[in-house]
Amino acid sequence: MALTITGLSKTYSNGVKALKNLSLSIGNGMFGLVGPNGAGKSSLMRTIATLQDPDSGSVSLDGIDVLRQKDEVRRILGYLPQEFGVYPKISALDMLHHLAVMKGMTNLGERKGSVDALLQQTNLWEVRKKALTTFSGGMKQRFGIAQALLGNPRLIIVDEPTAGLDPTERNRFLNLLSSLGSDRTVILSTHIVDDVRQLCPRMAIIASGELLLEGSPAETLAALKGKIWSKVVATDDQAQALEKQLQVISTHLVGGEHEVRAFANASPGEGFSAVECDLEDVYFLTLARHGSSHMVN
Amino acid sequence: MRQLWEFFTFELKFRFKSLSTYVYFFIWIAFSFLSVASESFGPIGNSNGKVLLNGPYANTYNDVGAAIFGIIIIAAIFGTSILRDFQRDTYQVLFTQPISKFAYLGGRWAGSFVTTVFAFSGMMLGTYLGTFAPWADHTRIGPNHLWTYLQPFLSILVVQIFFIGSIFFVVSALSRKIFIVYLQGAALFVIYLIGITVFFTTRSLERFWSGIFDPIGIILMDDVARYWTVVERNSLLVTWSPALAHGVFLYNRLLWMGVGVLSLVILWALFPMSVEALTGRVQSRRAAKAKEQEVAEAAPVQSLVAAHLPRVHQTFNSSTTWAQYISLCRLRMRNIFRDIPFWGIVALLIAFNVNNGYFAGHLAEQNVWPVTYLMVQAVEGSALLFLYIVAALYAAELLWRERDANFNGIHDALPMRESTDWLSRLTAIVVVEIALLAVAMFMGMFMQTILGYHHYEVVEYLKELYLVTFPQVFGFVLLALFVQTMVSNKFVGHGIVIGLVVMIPILFNFGWENTLYLVGNVPQYTYSDMNGYGHFVPAIFWANTYWLAIMAVLGVVSIALARRGADDSLRARARQAARLAPRLAPFAILFAIVAFGAGGWYYYNAHVLNEYLDSKARRDIQADYERKFKQYENLLQPKVTAVDATINIYPERRSFDGSVRMTLQNKTSQPISQIHITDTKQSVSNLKFDRPFHPVNSAPRDLYSIYALEQPLAPGETVNLTCNVGHETRGFRDGNELPEFAYNGTFFDSDYIPYIGYRTDFEIDDPRRRREEKLPPLEEMAHRGDPVHSVNNIFPREADWVTYHTIVSTSSDQMAIAPGYLQRQWEANGRKYFEYSMGSTHILEFFSYISARYQSKRELYHGPDGDVSLEVYYHPTHTYDVDDMLASSRAGLDYYQRVYSPYQFSQYRIFEFPRYRSFAQSFANTIPYSENIGFIERVVKPTDIDFTYFATAHELAHQWWAHQLIGADVEGSNMMAESLAEYSALQVMAHKYGRDLMHRYLRHELDAYLRGRAGEVRHEPPLALVQREQYVWYQKGGQVLYTLADYIGEDKFNLALHNFLMRYRYANANNQVDASDGIRAAAAIDGAYPDTRMLVEAIREQTPPELQYMVDDAFNRIILYDNKAISATSQKTPDGKFKVTLDVQARKMQSDGNGAETPVPLADYIEIGVFSGKRDEERPLYLKKEKFTEDHKTFEIMVDQEPTLAGIDPYNKLIDRNGDDNMIEVTRK
Repeated sequence: MALTITGLSKTYSNGVKALKNLSLSIGNGMFGLVGPNGAGKSSLMRTIATLQDPDSGSVSLDGIDVLRQKDEVRRILGYLPQEFGVYPKISALDMLHHLAVMKGMTNLGERKGSVDALLQQTNLWEVRKKALTTFSGGMKQRFGIAQALLGNPRLIIVDEPTAGLDPTERNRFLNLLSSLGSDRTVILSTHIVDDVRQLCPRMAIIASGELLLEGSPAETLAALKGKIWSKVVATDDQAQALEKQLQVISTHLVGGEHEVRAFANASPGEGFSAVECDLEDVYFLTLARHGSSHMVN
Repeated sequence: MRQLWEFFTFELKFRFKSLSTYVYFFIWIAFSFLSVASESFGPIGNSNGKVLLNGPYANTYNDVGAAIFGIIIIAAIFGTSILRDFQRDTYQVLFTQPISKFAYLGGRWAGSFVTTVFAFSGMMLGTYLGTFAPWADHTRIGPNHLWTYLQPFLSILVVQIFFIGSIFFVVSALSRKIFIVYLQGAALFVIYLIGITVFFTTRSLERFWSGIFDPIGIILMDDVARYWTVVERNSLLVTWSPALAHGVFLYNRLLWMGVGVLSLVILWALFPMSVEALTGRVQSRRAAKAKEQEVAEAAPVQSLVAAHLPRVHQTFNSSTTWAQYISLCRLRMRNIFRDIPFWGIVALLIAFNVNNGYFAGHLAEQNVWPVTYLMVQAVEGSALLFLYIVAALYAAELLWRERDANFNGIHDALPMRESTDWLSRLTAIVVVEIALLAVAMFMGMFMQTILGYHHYEVVEYLKELYLVTFPQVFGFVLLALFVQTMVSNKFVGHGIVIGLVVMIPILFNFGWENTLYLVGNVPQYTYSDMNGYGHFVPAIFWANTYWLAIMAVLGVVSIALARRGADDSLRARARQAARLAPRLAPFAILFAIVAFGAGGWYYYNAHVLNEYLDSKARRDIQADYERKFKQYENLLQPKVTAVDATINIYPERRSFDGSVRMTLQNKTSQPISQIHITDTKQSVSNLKFDRPFHPVNSAPRDLYSIYALEQPLAPGETVNLTCNVGHETRGFRDGNELPEFAYNGTFFDSDYIPYIGYRTDFEIDDPRRRREEKLPPLEEMAHRGDPVHSVNNIFPREADWVTYHTIVSTSSDQMAIAPGYLQRQWEANGRKYFEYSMGSTHILEFFSYISARYQSKRELYHGPDGDVSLEVYYHPTHTYDVDDMLASSRAGLDYYQRVYSPYQFSQYRIFEFPRYRSFAQSFANTIPYSENIGFIERVVKPTDIDFTYFATAHELAHQWWAHQLIGADVEGSNMMAESLAEYSALQVMAHKYGRDLMHRYLRHELDAYLRGRAGEVRHEPPLALVQREQYVWYQKGGQVLYTLADYIGEDKFNLALHNFLMRYRYANANNQVDASDGIRAAAAIDGAYPDTRMLVEAIREQTPPELQYMVDDAFNRIILYDNKAISATSQKTPDGKFKVTLDVQARKMQSDGNGAETPVPLADYIEIGVFSGKRDEERPLYLKKEKFTEDHKTFEIMVDQEPTLAGIDPYNKLIDRNGDDNMIEVTRK
């Protein structure tokens, strides 16, 4: 299973350039797509999910031309959009059965088994006969993943699935995703970097419709090893002063004081200590570099 | 107060920034502008051609119209004002501020009110602008007076806006749900429609409460102004005076303003000004939901260890597509069936069905059997509105469902075809429509059961509802889906869809009558029990096929352009369409071919096989005829004296052919060298005279031909005319099918044989249309005594009396009839032949040819002057009134032979014909009688009016009043046929049902007369000078003569009629050459026919001197009384009797032809009466005609029993515009 995205560009009618000549290759397993809001993640995912045509570029999935053979893609696709609503006055069970039929699961026994299993998996079994409109945000999100998993899709696209979930739910949800096995492609978009670290063997960072970084979290972390430094300063002025001198990745307010994290090959100065780098540093650094390169341009 | 002002100005600013306010304003400008600028638009322009289009009545009436259709605009402005805060959640911010309830509600309300008043003020501006339209009919535009605009606007529209707006405002503020506001609007509308139906189908004479409780104004206007004459309509405003129509208008306005105020008070009391309270219900529901969720969350978490999902197989083939389609259909139907407003619509539909079903075919106090065609018509008529609402509403709802629910991300990525998805939406709506039609059908049969009619014709229901109507609804659904696919906002879509529906009748009115471009239209058709859908079937079928195929093409386009995915720009959808084209194009092409084929075939039939003439084109022909040939109107022509016709009817082809031989005799003193022939039906060919002649001139369409005789026809000389006649029906027409020809129930008359000379009855008589055609005002009939016209009779002028012989043939399963005694009957060539002859008896030159499959009932009437065979020929299932018709015929023969003269024939035959035309008509001893006026009547209650009995007696009376005595072709003569027949029938009816019950019938006759004169387009003549005014010769004539007979005595009055009849009947019958055995005068010159002067004289002779004034009033004047009981009290006397003190008022007015009245001094006898028992079942205790010489009079009357009612002219014998205040309850002292 391999998804190859080549030179994808998309400009909306309001002039926003959502994708800029973006190319990316995605193999089996979980693939994390991170980026700030408006980076083009959703545009990219909608394009792969056949919901939107790019202005140029191509997407191919194991020989299927995604942009033309939409129906072939839809047959193997499980898609959870970033935001979705539900029909009024219909239960989770009925809706899943309907969607299962739509996904070609015409054998009633098999369909029933699959729907029941998914309801169990997503912990919606007890409420399966309740109207979807009465569901809480988390329950609705779990319903969303259940419908995305209907029919054992080989390509699963989940757009910001953990947004608005409480920690328990988020955890449960990520576990479910990671249990899906490695024989399929799962594209997970998020702006929460932690999600990716936990789940994804491979990841990409995009911003302003461009690919900034692609690789495995482990590789990218290794590249930064020993180059992230941290210092705690008391005042805003001090923090701002550091920002001018150094390549500051992030600042956090901790107990009224600023923890400043900076990127440097060697200790940037007094009071800095080397710290374990995490994926968030990679993310911020990539974004910061991208931002400055833009300024240069 | 400052806050109030702020809210008010904020609301105004918001409204005046919004485009919709100006759209509403423009709608009213357009509506009222067209009402003035185009006579084909709006109720006033279309009706009476003398009512000013910008006069007070027109402005008031148009404002009432705006009040009905304006409900939706009032709802849109008032209903959304408060709701806006809740839809946008601004209430959270708003209600945490310290604002006063009065300021908030008051400001919003006042802002909405001012906005709405502004929008509706477009009515005044539009009317004003309309008066300047150069193409408008300026004879109907009076000077513009501000008050004539402002008064109706203030007293109708501003009051409506105030109270309806307030109700919407309150409902939306208290419910805070848009669909409750919609539902309330719809419910108001439908309930009002129900009320209107009840009121008008029962022809209720209740004029007080019905007007007061009318929230919109249609009934109110009818109650106030129904009898207003043209003069009054052009000068009087509907004022708030307690004297106007008993103050109905005043009380109505006060009542509804009170309702408006009350609702605002309720709102003030109930509206909570806090976020908690406003969202209280929602919050408690939210709390319940949250709790439920907690329970759900707390449920044991399933182990995630065994995370392997079962393997499933996905198959994608045609059976999957089918399964997807079924699943989607179920989902979408569930969307509709679980929608509360849908059930609201169903409930309203059922209520409407029950109501209209109950009144199926009812007219006034006439009761009919709810036969299937009436019931289908009733339930279908009431269902249609709902079918279209459902189609428009759910086309939008289902098409936008995924987007509205924000489920499109998931839905659009499902592996299904666009067509599967789209078809499921279509199917769901169509299934719902089918179900609603089934509801209508079920309700129809249910109502038939309730009404005691058990002859269920399920097939007829199915045909009408599912074969005729359903395709139209289906097409409309497709159209609505297409529109909603194309537009980007569903409310814009609704607007377009409603606009298309509303436009069609308007366009039709404007003369755009072609089915091929009137979207979704099907030509007019009528179901008849006798003929089924008959010849209408092909036109209905092809029109339906044509439009359905066009809509199907639009359907395919809708699939191609369906919204799918995130990008619904037209470019993206065009790309999708291109992708889908290979698969969809074949269907589009197929449907397009069907559309072209069906349309082509329709065009070939309606425009090639038949000449296509819209109503304007038909009027042009009439106008052309008048312009060119009116000059010959008084040209001396010979008269027809004998007719011999051979007519072959081919019912299965709706055609006939034949030949006619007419004997013409010069009954003038001048030689005649030219013979002119009118042939309005284009049915005459091969016309010849049996002496040398040559054609001089012939008009297009063979309408008028002039032949010159080489040797002029000398006075007294005869010439024979022979010609072929015939009519060939080719294919079908775009509506306007000739009603004369049917597979079962052919009935045509002498219009299809040549007419000698010019026909005035072919002229356009509507003054509006005459102006349009640039014709001068319709020529008045000649005065009585006019030497030229007096030698002709009024109908038909081309003959005096004729002898008549005919052979009629028809197909072997039918019977063919013409006037005359059956001489012979035989079969040949698989056809049936009938020979009829009138022998030597003279009849008017007026024949009918009838052919149908009949059942018959005959009986022999043994009269003093010989036997008469009474025969009724009827459709086998229409047995209800056959005996009633026979009974009426017997009673009529008894009465008329006793008081008038012997019956001149030995047979009297009634023939049913299809209900394409609604009348009964008296030919010599032959009465074609429409299936829907006498054959399904039902007399259940003693108060039901036996109209069949009446109509049969009326037609029988024409055998005397027309077929024995016919008047000259001058003003007044029509009443000597129609009023005297009406009078005769009233007497026959009175002898059966009693004088008291006649009062009930005459009330409706009086109502019809007064309404008739209110709609007069020329000028109302007195009875003795009547020209074409049916309301005068039927309703006024019958009433006035019946009253006259009551005053001077039935016997005396009848003696007068007898004397008149015996002296003047059969004028000019015995001075001609014909087939009779009578005198064959070689040189006979026509003398004068009688006119109303002779009739009036005959009545005067029998009238005592003190009642001579009544003869004058009845015949020579238009007299209106305003009699009124003012008070009545009773006192028990010691001897057990009751002394009634009755105070009454009497007034008498004389009106001119335009309705301007002048008071007349009283010297009149008016009846005074005291009654016991309930109103409408009262029994007279005392009844006496008293002489009045002054307005007021008080009577003291002794009666034996306890009185309940008393009054002046209690039986409404005199013509009184306020007949309902003549009686009053007697109060006991």
